[in-house]
Amino acid sequence: MQLYEPTATAFLLTALGVLMGGSALFSRAAGRFGVPVALLFILLGVLGGSEGIGGIAFENYGFTFRLGTVALVLILFDGGLNTPLSAMRHGLKPAALLATVGVIGTALVTGVAAHLFGFEWKQALLLGAIVSSTDAAAVFSVLRGSGLHLKRRVGVTLELESGLNDPMAVILTMALTGALMSGEPLDWHILLHAAVQMVVGAAFGMGFGYAGRLLLSRVHLAAGGLYPVLTLALAFLAFGLPTLFEGSGFLSVYVAAVVMGNQSFPYRSGLLRVHDAMAWLAQVCMFLMLGLLAIPTKLVEVAWVGAGVSLVLAFLARPLVVMLCLLPFRFPLKESFYVGWVGLRGAVPIILATFPVLARAPGAFSIFNVVFFIVVVNALIPGATVPWLTRRLGLVSLAPPPPPAALELTSMHQLDGEVVPFYVDPASAVAGATLAELPLPGSAVVTLIVRGKELVPAKGATQLLPGDHVYVFCKPAELAEVHLLLGQQMDE
Amino acid sequence: MRISEFLSPEALIADLQARDKQAVLREMSAVLSRAHPSLKEDRLVEVLREREKLGSTGIGEGVAIPHGKLPGLTNLVAAFGVSRQGVDFEAIDGKPTHLFFALVAPENSAGVHLKALARISRLFKNPRFRASILDATSAADIHALIVQEDARP
Repeated sequence: MQLYEPTATAFLLTALGVLMGGSALFSRAAGRFGVPVALLFILLGVLGGSEGIGGIAFENYGFTFRLGTVALVLILFDGGLNTPLSAMRHGLKPAALLATVGVIGTALVTGVAAHLFGFEWKQALLLGAIVSSTDAAAVFSVLRGSGLHLKRRVGVTLELESGLNDPMAVILTMALTGALMSGEPLDWHILLHAAVQMVVGAAFGMGFGYAGRLLLSRVHLAAGGLYPVLTLALAFLAFGLPTLFEGSGFLSVYVAAVVMGNQSFPYRSGLLRVHDAMAWLAQVCMFLMLGLLAIPTKLVEVAWVGAGVSLVLAFLARPLVVMLCLLPFRFPLKESFYVGWVGLRGAVPIILATFPVLARAPGAFSIFNVVFFIVVVNALIPGATVPWLTRRLGLVSLAPPPPPAALELTSMHQLDGEVVPFYVDPASAVAGATLAELPLPGSAVVTLIVRGKELVPAKGATQLLPGDHVYVFCKPAELAEVHLLLGQQMDE
Repeated sequence: MRISEFLSPEALIADLQARDKQAVLREMSAVLSRAHPSLKEDRLVEVLREREKLGSTGIGEGVAIPHGKLPGLTNLVAAFGVSRQGVDFEAIDGKPTHLFFALVAPENSAGVHLKALARISRLFKNPRFRASILDATSAADIHALIVQEDARP
């Protein structure tokens, strides 16, 4: 049936509206059942797809690759903006090792398994490379759904790893696809090539990060709404340019965002919210599209191989490689086991799997279907155990709960002072004191207290109780003393 | 409020041996319990650790003020120690910490506790005072310097 405008656009928007609305509305329920929301989005996509009730025939691998790449850029940029430098200090070294050596190791072990399940060597290794990177968002969505917070070092390691390991998987996938097409034997040049990509990508990322910092603190735009346009432009440039010069664009985007995110600049909270929304939109669209692309009956054909490789990946390849990689960092056994077990796969493998299809590499379609299968099984089996295992291994952080109401300053100008959120713990010196008794330095002042669902005005006779969230306005120079008296600062 | 009211000359250590954060907390607790034999060292370490878990009391410029509340205590007690080589106390400015002022308060005395903390942190804002303590070698000299600085108008 050939549709004409504007009917075609109307159909498209209606379908998109139903799918995206469904994704957003059902996400909470999915989290509660320990299913990563991404899986739900994929499922909705499959339902809307050619063999589902929607009957939308979508088979455009090229479009999938392009939109998927844009989505990943948005997601990585948002992830980077929200990565505090303190997290870098705690987790950078183990995460960097996992993101490089770990990815190669996982790809190799999984590749050997795929060969044993009948794939020819090069195809088997390509399959291993495609599924070798993890997605922390999948883990965190499950944890958020069950209201758990992960202990700091484990959480930071998982998150940084997933921000850093896509480049390696991309590089290996491109190189192996190339080798598969040209028929040349594999050699160590792949690793040299990977190293160059990493270095160039990181250098571009640093460059764009610092340029972005400078730009955001100097430039005054006409409207607040133009700031996200500028940061989005930076994100696209940080991916595009290094990719044109033999660098890893994904690494560059992430590094640039981390550098930019760790500085205060005008309109910061507004920008972070916009990028958060864009990352969610990117996730929903990407997974829906991947669901539309999948053909369930083709997946059934590869069920045996897919299940076999998934199990090897989940039970052997990933845990083994992670444990070995974390050995030098003296992680307690249960922590390294946990990191190994919850390395859930996200959208990256499926998007990477479209690459050999686009290149018309031999066996690409069956690789694509197996990869799809692996991602789904992997999200279901370790995914469903995440809340249980987190509690069981005692990795639940005792961090205070986030406040039900938040106060923040929004400005398009650089401000000399900030509103800092604190949590009153029984062990903190302020617990039980009245505000009149609180000797805050200089210009510092308590602006608001959030107690449960109640807002308590900050007056002299108001007593601070354990469990309160307290918002203190202070100048940067007074922050140390305010910290000393109040105790625990909340993450924003 | 005067610091000499709760910092006795016996609770001073001119050369801390500890090389890491946990060891500093233990050493300071040991000094406190030596000066106030009714206080159990283990309990002191525990209350100081509880507070450190919320965030480091290292306020920067080489100064840390570990503190806590101890049920059953009737008045403020304090100890002071100097680490010559400096210790990584996860201070807010990331620099090594040399001067440690441990303060333990009774449980329901938030007002006094806060006042003492603010007083101590303001005292150590003075760079010349910090340098003079690092130059002093004996515990008695250091105690005299603190009392003298505290008495200035």
